[in-house]
Amino acid sequence: MAPGRIMLGVLLMLLVWEGLAHVQPDSMLISGPFDIAEYINDHSGLLFRAATETLRNAALGFFWGNLAAVALACFVILIPKSEWVVSALALLVFCIPLIASGPILRVLFGPGAGPQIALAALAVYYTTFLAFVVGLRAISQSWTDLMTVYGRGRLSTLFVVRFRASLPYLFMGLQIAAPAAFLGAMIGEFTGAERGLGVLTLRAMRGLQTDATWALAAISASLAMLGYACVGLLKSKLTPHATTILLSTPRFGQKRALSTQILGIVFLSAMVLVLWQGLMDLFNLNSFFAKRPADIWTFVSNTTNLNTLLTALGETLTYAIPGYLAGLALGAGLAVILTLWPPVARAIMPTAISLRAVPIITTAPLLVLAFGRGFTGTVAIVAVMVFFPTLVACLQGLRQAPTQIVDLFASYGAGRLKLLRCAQIPAMLPAFFASARMAVPAALLAVTTAEWLATGRGIGVLMALTASTSNYNMLWSCVVLLCLAAVTAYAGVAWCEKRVLRVYASEQVV
Amino acid sequence: MTTAGISCNRIRKSFDRTEAVSELSIEFQSGQTTALVGPSGCGKSTVLRMIAGLETPDMGHIAIGHETPKQVARRGGLAMAFQDASLLPWRTVRSNIALGAELARKPVDRVDDLINLVGLDGFAEHRPAELSGGMRQRAAIARSLISEPEVLLLDEPFGAVDAITRRRLNQELPPLWRERQTTTLLVTHSVEEAVLLSDRVIVLSSRPARILADIQVDINRDCTFSPVTSPDVRAFVTQVLTALEEYE
Repeated sequence: MAPGRIMLGVLLMLLVWEGLAHVQPDSMLISGPFDIAEYINDHSGLLFRAATETLRNAALGFFWGNLAAVALACFVILIPKSEWVVSALALLVFCIPLIASGPILRVLFGPGAGPQIALAALAVYYTTFLAFVVGLRAISQSWTDLMTVYGRGRLSTLFVVRFRASLPYLFMGLQIAAPAAFLGAMIGEFTGAERGLGVLTLRAMRGLQTDATWALAAISASLAMLGYACVGLLKSKLTPHATTILLSTPRFGQKRALSTQILGIVFLSAMVLVLWQGLMDLFNLNSFFAKRPADIWTFVSNTTNLNTLLTALGETLTYAIPGYLAGLALGAGLAVILTLWPPVARAIMPTAISLRAVPIITTAPLLVLAFGRGFTGTVAIVAVMVFFPTLVACLQGLRQAPTQIVDLFASYGAGRLKLLRCAQIPAMLPAFFASARMAVPAALLAVTTAEWLATGRGIGVLMALTASTSNYNMLWSCVVLLCLAAVTAYAGVAWCEKRVLRVYASEQVV
Repeated sequence: MTTAGISCNRIRKSFDRTEAVSELSIEFQSGQTTALVGPSGCGKSTVLRMIAGLETPDMGHIAIGHETPKQVARRGGLAMAFQDASLLPWRTVRSNIALGAELARKPVDRVDDLINLVGLDGFAEHRPAELSGGMRQRAAIARSLISEPEVLLLDEPFGAVDAITRRRLNQELPPLWRERQTTTLLVTHSVEEAVLLSDRVIVLSSRPARILADIQVDINRDCTFSPVTSPDVRAFVTQVLTALEEYE
């Protein structure tokens, strides 16, 4: 699209935005671009200091999280037998919503930047790990054969072939990680930091300062998108010939019997409990706030406590499930519709990719302002969180239909709808399910964030309350329950995925 | 340079429930070029891959001299050219050819000679994406030659090469292998090529592979030798084709 047209489009959008802000000037719903600019100008010093603090924490978290991801991925490639355990543990940690681990990290680290950096690292490591492992594996077998013929082992193959070949995948992970690190740092600031954009956002929300909320959202979104764009630029310079890459989970080896799977789950659960207890004891953490597995078991054995927890979880799922399904349906549906008009799809793709990079923490306050603090607002937040990644993944997936098959349909004069139904939608399914799996922890993060910020119900607010009243048994129990809910939902989606792809993409199912 | 013969003793290999090779015993003599021909899917490439150490036989054993294939590979004594060029896309032609020597821990000083041999002058600094399929395959052949291996394994490497270059390589490569006493194994679908390049042609049956004919190719390849008109070549080609047709 010509730069002139883009400028005209942006100008038109700003004018409409400003006009909407003047329709109901006292509604405290929308701030116009002029009011936002005025607020930024009046508070430039404060905003600059806060942005610098958040950026610093996000950058440190980005570095450590990605370093850990790269190290873990290399470990898995060098010792393939470790893949199942490492991947499962990495997934388990990823499934803990940041909103849940935030208060615990605050308790463990105390005041300071520790939780922000740790949360930023936790927000990025899994997507980079996943993308990098897929990339390290996605090399031609003849390259590994070549290395074997010359008597070279896994380490040489990693350095000579795999590492360089996986750069497009690594950069894709890093690109998704850039805004995610920003999101993690802001959530860390929500949990009781002294400085940063997250702290200012909370204050603006609580003080119903519409201009401040919009200004902070605009700054945070711009910085996150800038991070996304910078890594994207680096990616295009270093890997200019890279094609579209779909992020799917690493293969977990051969098909296993049910008994072996159950044994695996038992082994993994035992390992998590041992690691949990072991790490607490190793660092000699005070049992007043650092709860061990036995403490949680005793706590949830009490019927009243368990009922409180399950009621809160029930409320959370009441918002999360419709929002998750709505986000998936809207994302996939719009992608399918857009594919029928390729020029529109091409025009929308960059915008959708950019909006995917906007952290939910910046849009949640705006959605609360727009849709209210009830059911609609919370479901909208979850749906938006799920919508953009699904739309982008599905648009990319729809393009995966093999050229020969598209040509075959064309040679028979088949219409666009026929091609869509018989070739493109089946080709989209792996991307759709990969997105649906990754959206599970994201949806829980969105719903708990909304509960914390706005609704005053559900497990999100229960965690916030128990953190402030030092009820650490309840806090830890909330985290465990959320993690279990996320893992169960993730496994459920993976179960459906396997069955659907067995029919529509049999070569991708192990 | 001392080269080693290859001994395959009652080797067997299955993939899932498909038996690719069944108790096959072959000796490949040191310094000789041997071609394996046979119907598609008969297990020729599997035999080659087992000799390269890329597949482990389910039964029997393979020795190169007194060593296992992996031992020879570790000291840089093996090289292989595959059906697809398998060049690293981020390296130039020169760098891809040099990779063969780097991996075998041998000197990287013959790249230009080999670029000339395979007819890639002027393309040394090009990347694989800028080359045709045949040019990539020529670069892959050069990569397999640069380490001057004791054992050279060629898995249908000339398939994508154009007729003129193929003919040139067919004429220039055998003297090179003979001069260096390289033990060369060639898998090919072209009976003419097998006869032209090899000292011996082994005809294999369809899966599981067994030896149908073992033909010593005794052709006088002096400077006047013309493969197109040579009656010797035609006689050996007929002999190989007859072995295949009788089996059919």
